[in-house]
Amino acid sequence: MKKLVIDPVTRVEGHGKVTIHLDENNKVKDSFFHIVEFRGFERFIQGHPYWEAPVLVQRLCGICPVSHHLAAAKAIDQIVGINPEDLSLPAQKIRKLLHFGQVFQSHALHFFYLASPDLLFGVNADPAKRNVAEVAIEHLDLAKKGILMRKFGQEIIKTIAGKRIHGISAVPGGVHKKITLQDRDYFLNSKDIPSIDAMINWSKEIIEFLKGYHDLNKKWLNEFAKYPSGHLGLVNKENGFLELYDGNLRALDADGEVILNDIPSDDYIQYFNEGVEKWSYLKFPYLKDLGKDKGWNRVGPLARLNVCNGIETPFAEEERIIFKLSTNGKINNKTMYSHWARLIEMLYCAEMMKKLLNDEDILSNDLVRKGERRSEGIGIIEAPRGTLIHHYEVDNRDRITRCNLIVSTTHNNEPMNQAVKWVANNVISGEPKITEGMLNQVEVAIRAYDPCLSCATHALGQMPLHVTLIDHNGEHIDERKR
Amino acid sequence: MNENVEKKYIIFGIGNSGRQDDGLGWAFLDLLNKNEFKKASFEYKYQLQIEDAELICNYNTVIFVDASKNELIKGYNFYTCKSSNKHSFSTHALLPETILYLSEHLYDHKPKAYILEIQGYEWELKSGLTKTASENLNKAIEFFNQKTFLKHIKTEHDKSHK
Repeated sequence: MKKLVIDPVTRVEGHGKVTIHLDENNKVKDSFFHIVEFRGFERFIQGHPYWEAPVLVQRLCGICPVSHHLAAAKAIDQIVGINPEDLSLPAQKIRKLLHFGQVFQSHALHFFYLASPDLLFGVNADPAKRNVAEVAIEHLDLAKKGILMRKFGQEIIKTIAGKRIHGISAVPGGVHKKITLQDRDYFLNSKDIPSIDAMINWSKEIIEFLKGYHDLNKKWLNEFAKYPSGHLGLVNKENGFLELYDGNLRALDADGEVILNDIPSDDYIQYFNEGVEKWSYLKFPYLKDLGKDKGWNRVGPLARLNVCNGIETPFAEEERIIFKLSTNGKINNKTMYSHWARLIEMLYCAEMMKKLLNDEDILSNDLVRKGERRSEGIGIIEAPRGTLIHHYEVDNRDRITRCNLIVSTTHNNEPMNQAVKWVANNVISGEPKITEGMLNQVEVAIRAYDPCLSCATHALGQMPLHVTLIDHNGEHIDERKR
Repeated sequence: MNENVEKKYIIFGIGNSGRQDDGLGWAFLDLLNKNEFKKASFEYKYQLQIEDAELICNYNTVIFVDASKNELIKGYNFYTCKSSNKHSFSTHALLPETILYLSEHLYDHKPKAYILEIQGYEWELKSGLTKTASENLNKAIEFFNQKTFLKHIKTEHDKSHK
């Protein structure tokens, strides 16, 4: 049996490798997407005072530290006796603005840097061509807009949290500072950076571009890495609409039937278990009722658009309806539609940022609330890549005694494995030779989930991609480095 | 005018102080701050990102300081960073060379650029540098403070304009 290894998917988001096991006839026998880095963060944080959690957990990730910061903050709010609805309105709105800025910049980064090279040049293009540097040369305007959109989100984060990475905004029971008029005008008046209106317009333009791409490549997009799965996400507690900051958990099965019916996020532990496999350090969450084999769910933009009843902002809702019509209103199990869903969310975030920037509450000094101390706190938000769960227990000396984190990429562990299996079975199996294009397709399938396999060290001297081909005797018969 | 524009240099400290020696880049900037080094703007970065290509347009000289897993004879290495379309797959971070490449192609800006790599040894989830990495950091700072690096920059610049 041959074993094809793609290793690592880079150390920046953690160690990851793909192994595709082939038999003597080059038929795929099995495939795995391994996460081989063990972070130990849950243990690391034990013993620290609870108020340090929102700051410490940001070290988990350089791409979405704000998501970890806010999920931890929501959990710590509960420890100081404050439920999400008890926060002052200004604090809620400032946190949401921070969150929308984070999701907006993260989605922009993914589309312009990671997804657009695949889409613009094709998955079979030479890797030397299929990268952001070439996008910069051949699609100058698109590349510049991408940078400015990413920068806009980063500036929102910097304004609220003080720094673009590892800043501090949320404190137990609220936020530590308001937004000033000067801060707000910076985003509205177009003097120093393109305004929020430009962000909305550019988001709409990019959706139009992607819809055009879908029209031209419908067959491939409909089929590539399509497989049945459950879909999980938060929805608004009142109307079931798309919700990124605070809501109820809803899951649908591959046919669109409700399998988790708007449960309060604090009850997640009653419904979820986490499985382990000896070949991966990343756990496999699943719904208890359905069991490990059937209870896993996709999370992230595609799942969120599948589970929500609607979107509260007008332009994004218009686009959601078009998106839903592409599957005749049915649930969407097509992996490559994740990119389209991500851009609709980007537009939603831009519209929400505009709404919040024009809300007088964000200028208020009513920032922190206090309640009755508790020993446990749960914070769940929708991070850019999907549902993110932080759960802490503390002792009477304010020290964290237990921490459980289920990050978005953990939920997507099994879905990414399914995507790799699809490519292995449909693209690689039976072929006499493994081509660059085939390897690219493995990457494209994983990349649709925008995986963040937990940020680790990066340090100079790392090889970003290492491919090894091993035959059935365990001999390395081929090796490629990118 | 942005105050950054008035400064000729920008120094990126790249890394993660919560990952032992991966914090070398940030520690380097911390020491410069402590010594009240005013000649440059400082950017603490977890990773280099696409928007940094725009940021460096405000500067004539860019220095990227990062931890390194390479075996370095002096414990550090200072060299010219050349524009390149090098890239990595499935990652959200960019290489210093790619930042220069993007700045050149998107904004027609070609600053002088250098990489200062400092050797590290341990990368686990823990605060604080290892003893040997700290020694390497001090050597790198000494090199920097002796203005050797400025001489190096001038020499490299002269070479490139001959």
